Amino acid sequence: MRITTLRTIYSIVIPRNVRIQARLILVLSLLLFTHPLYAADAPDLEQQTRAISADLRCVVCQNLSIADSPSEMAQQMRAIVREQLQAGKSPQEIKDYFVSKYGEWVLLKPATRGISLLVWVVPFVALLIGLALGIFFIRRWVAKKRSAQPVTADPKLLARVREEFANAETEKLDLEDPSPRAQLLQERSRLYTDLNELEFDYQAGKLSQADYVGLRRDIETIASTVLGNLDEVAASTAREKGAERRRPAAKQTEVAQPKPGVRGWQVAVGAAFLLVFGLTLGVVLTNSLRPRGGEGDSITGDFLTGTPTASKNDLSALLQEGRTAFNKQDMRKAIDAFKSVLAANPNQPEANSYMGVILMQAGHADGALMAFDKALSVAPNFPMALWGKGMALYQGKQDYAGAREVFEKLLPLLPPGNDREAIVKVLAEIPAAGQKPKMAAKPAATAAASSSSSSAGQITGRITIDPKINGAIDPQAALFIIARPAGGGGGPPVAVKKVDRPAFPLSYSLGAENMMTQGMPFTGKLTITVRLDQDGNPGTRGPGDLDGDYKKNPVDVGSKNVDIVLDQVGK
Amino acid sequence: MAWRRLIITLAVIAPVLWLLAFGFQRDARYIKTPLIAKQAAPFTVTLFDPPTGVREIVLSERSGSTGGARKLSLADLRGRAVFLNFWASWCPPCREEARDLEAAWQKVKDKNLVFLGVALQDTEKDSRAFLEEFKITYLNGRDESGKIGVDYGTWGIPESFFIDAQGRITYKHVGGIRATLVIAKLEEAAKGIVSAQEGKGDITPVR
Repeated sequence: MRITTLRTIYSIVIPRNVRIQARLILVLSLLLFTHPLYAADAPDLEQQTRAISADLRCVVCQNLSIADSPSEMAQQMRAIVREQLQAGKSPQEIKDYFVSKYGEWVLLKPATRGISLLVWVVPFVALLIGLALGIFFIRRWVAKKRSAQPVTADPKLLARVREEFANAETEKLDLEDPSPRAQLLQERSRLYTDLNELEFDYQAGKLSQADYVGLRRDIETIASTVLGNLDEVAASTAREKGAERRRPAAKQTEVAQPKPGVRGWQVAVGAAFLLVFGLTLGVVLTNSLRPRGGEGDSITGDFLTGTPTASKNDLSALLQEGRTAFNKQDMRKAIDAFKSVLAANPNQPEANSYMGVILMQAGHADGALMAFDKALSVAPNFPMALWGKGMALYQGKQDYAGAREVFEKLLPLLPPGNDREAIVKVLAEIPAAGQKPKMAAKPAATAAASSSSSSAGQITGRITIDPKINGAIDPQAALFIIARPAGGGGGPPVAVKKVDRPAFPLSYSLGAENMMTQGMPFTGKLTITVRLDQDGNPGTRGPGDLDGDYKKNPVDVGSKNVDIVLDQVGK
Repeated sequence: MAWRRLIITLAVIAPVLWLLAFGFQRDARYIKTPLIAKQAAPFTVTLFDPPTGVREIVLSERSGSTGGARKLSLADLRGRAVFLNFWASWCPPCREEARDLEAAWQKVKDKNLVFLGVALQDTEKDSRAFLEEFKITYLNGRDESGKIGVDYGTWGIPESFFIDAQGRITYKHVGGIRATLVIAKLEEAAKGIVSAQEGKGDITPVR
């Protein structure tokens, strides 16, 4: 008995429940379907962390989730989410943890129960009420307009209108005056003008008899109402002010729109358009906004403006700035610009090449070679870097064999023209005798060229590799002999010498020609270190790179037998 | 008719005005804590050495806990009322209240009460400099991962929690706090009196 009653109740209740549930599911799915948590089936830890974080409000910035907030607190909270996920907690448990600490406040989506349910329901209720009110008012306006049309005018007032309008002069009316009386006076004068114009047009034969009669009757009817209202206002202002003011004003607006008004469907279309526009805007904006990446960043990113990311844009702008400055020989500015580019992308070939050319012009053949090699490490066929390297080897280092090799590599890359001819000319100039190894040729050449680099102003010695270290030397490898001021920990080098394709044991000499700042005296106490870079690019630290220090650092300029063993393997 | 219109207008406008008044008066940053009268979350901090020239506070003198070890768990303090203060060296109200807190500690240090400061979102160096600057003699540690801060629902520092002998949070004060209030609330905590509401002073939002 009891069971059957329950069943009956059940069968009655279920359909309704199902209907309600279906509606709820529809609403909820509309709200939730974009959410990653519900979209992903088996997300990995990071995705899951992000999904949960996206639902938690950042306590620093209120309107961002902790997934989007860059604040330290949000980072810490994300770490906690990840930690708890790893500990096997469910997303709900993790959210409950945060709710237990910060209250419901911490949820970006309030729970769909208790008082928070209002947040979910009220907008829809408000929307429905708004729609209902909108429909109600539109219907009322339309109905009123229909009923307002066949107003029978008071014959007395009609007579007054006919009497007055012909003699009506354009009065000076205060158009700014918002009082009902002034409004009505304006209205009256406008209607009288209309009547006069109608009369004129009819006399001129521009109007048919039927049109004239119909229009005249309409205007006269409205004018008589205005007159009536004017009388009423005059009477009521005499009696009282305040609340009564609204009524004539309202009536006046009724008559102020005698033309066939906006139709109901037009209003509906307008409303629908506004609704769709608002929704689109809301969806588009919420999906396109994101936290600012930095000071100059926009919150819409490139979504609305279509500009590429700021940093990339800056790079090309900076490069352009550098080129322009270089062409104007404004070296300080050019260096600044290229340095900024290199700060963002240390291997940018063009910036490195320009830096190399600038260093060459300043007389730092070694520094220039490093810059060109850096450029070539990324773009092995970058003509500017090849040209620069060739010139640096040829003119700066007298390494004719190396220069020839580089220029021969460059030649096929150039289109026929002045540049190509220039290279052909240079290649012809390079002495064939320069075929011997660079190291042997160099000291003689520099000694001849520079009077300052006597053996007294040099540091000489031998470099060997620790026999315990086994491993091949890359054919691209380059050896850097670096002198820094004594005492300081790191600091910029005073002098650097680069030896391509070194063969050990290697005798070296470091002199004034290796100074980073050309023309400075090579004196004082120096700390000498050696570095074998396997890829020849000092900008990157490879695993096979070798380092060595002179054991009795610092040394005086003029020291001999400064022998160094490469005994530290880089990681 | 006029009356009806007025009533309808008011019926529409009044709730909107009320909503606006409510919304604008509310501090959107303010997060009301759900932790009062709840059990305080357990944690362990590594304590800072006391500032130079200050006599070392040996906790074991009065607690008999982890003597000598520089780690402290909240559980070690069970049986005593605890004043737990979250601070950071970069937070102006924290600097403002520092002297007051030390003064309060000097007044009650002989009673069965504990002051414990926890530095949030701060480097060890800066925290130490802060303790040195204000010659803070009560116990202080650092929340390295930010987990303690989240466990206590911190959002605007300084934040102070008062914990009774059973480890229950009896009162929370967001923002700078005065010595008199610290002592009064700590005495309440010692008696196990739970405050109905949290208090508020000047705050700096966390970073």
